[in-house]
Parts: sequence; structure tokens; C-alpha cells
Amino acid sequence: MILVDKRYEIIPRDFNFAGQASSDIKRTLKNMRFSRDFIKRVSVAAYESEINIVIHSLGGRAAFKITEAKLYLEFTDYGPGIPDIALAMTPGYSTASEESRLNGFGAGMGFTNILKSVDRFDILSDPNGTVLKLVFDIGEADRDAGL
Amino acid sequence: MTLGQIVAKYGCTVYTRNSFDSAKEIRYAFCSDLMSDALMIMSTVRESGVLEDSVLITGLATNQSIRTAEMLDVDVVCLVRGKIPAKQVVDLADESGIILIGTELTMFNLSGRLYQEGIVGIASKK
Repeated sequence: MILVDKRYEIIPRDFNFAGQASSDIKRTLKNMRFSRDFIKRVSVAAYESEINIVIHSLGGRAAFKITEAKLYLEFTDYGPGIPDIALAMTPGYSTASEESRLNGFGAGMGFTNILKSVDRFDILSDPNGTVLKLVFDIGEADRDAGL
Repeated sequence: MTLGQIVAKYGCTVYTRNSFDSAKEIRYAFCSDLMSDALMIMSTVRESGVLEDSVLITGLATNQSIRTAEMLDVDVVCLVRGKIPAKQVVDLADESGIILIGTELTMFNLSGRLYQEGIVGIASKK
């Protein structure tokens, strides 16, 4: 059974709007009373993925789904693709623009933070775009928030 | 140290009047102008109550400081070096329930003073 099914548009280079999807994802999880720790893992991965689209891509979208056992996040953008995925995942490596750096991005830790947060991670990239699929297992302890 | 004491002692400006809680206890702090660095270190904290009693000290007066605090469950953001947030940043803080304050002090000087008062840094947990 699908409990949540939401989609978001992500606008490139819009630093005021950036983070809005992740914020909605976090609020949804809070309302559903997931544990704080689980919410933090999902929120950090969502935010980093959303920011990657804002600062590096020509725009994109996110899909957010929850079933009984898993939470799925899928981030798709419209290019220009990541030429060297292994290099992009190296901690500290960044190709962020000066404008992005002035907005607090470009630490080169985005993928590192995403990888630390997720249970499963898949990435496909070519010049037409990048698809990032993140899966989080929902355990018994993740469900209880005690809020 | 309470938030009220911090504001009084270091001449901070309170930008979010509605959510300001002068009795709120601050026990931990983290400094960064790069938000992924804040996310990297602060997301490793597992003990409950640590991030909730933390302040994120930053020179980044944009929406993204507020978003980062929101993602981490950090309730307080303190802007340093006299940075004045735009109205939309204050509005976003209000909407997200983040307390936004600011000081003329530099990041190093504010951090040093808070450390002398017993506020400790958040370190990465492997």
C-alpha cells in the first residue's frame, strides 16, 4: 500500500526556493510520527539531493513515496549529467560555481552526506540528465516517534 | 547558558520575536559558512537533546542557513560579523520555527566567548 505519493519541481539556481521540497518531506514525516533519527536521515539526504539539482543542473523534479516497509526518493534532472561519478563522490570535491559558494554550497560533501544517510543508493547519469534513487528501510524503531 | 543570557551578554539582535525563548538552554554549538559541512557533522549526532540545545553559528545570512537548521532539528541560528538577514530569511525562520539572532562579533570571537562559558562544540561521531 502506498501511504504517501508526492512530486516536486526543482528550479535551477533559485536559492530562495531551494530546500522547499525537502522541507515539505520533513514536515510530512513529522506529521506521520516517524522517529527523529529517521526523519533526520531522510531530510539530510533529500536536502543535499535537492541542492545538487539547484546548483548543478538545468532543473529537475523529485518524487517521494512511502510504503509500509520503505521510503523512496527519486531525483531526476534534465542535464547536463555528471561526467565522472566516482570523482563527484570524493569527499571535498566540488564543481560548484562562485554563486553557489556564496549561498553556502560547494563544500563537496553532498554525496558523502547522502551515502551516509541511505540504505540503498542508485545513480544513473548521461548528458541528458541524472537520476538518483534513494531507498530507506522503515524499521520498527523508525515508526515510533513518541511525539 | 540561556539564550537570553547570550543575547544580553553579546548584544545580539533578535530577528524572530515570536519564537524567541529567553529561557532556552544552549549547551552546544557548531560553526560553518558551508551548509554541507554543518549537515555532515551535525547529522552524525545520535544522542537526543544535543541538536535541540545547539546553536548554528554562521556568516551565511540566506534562506539556506534556516533550511539547514530545520533539517537538523537545530532551533537556533546566530549570524555573525553583523550580517543582517533579508525579510524573506526572517519570514522563513518564523515559518520554520527557527530562532534567528545576530551579533556584530566575528565567528571566532563569539565561539571563543561561548566556549569560555562552557558551551562545547559538536564533533563528528564515526
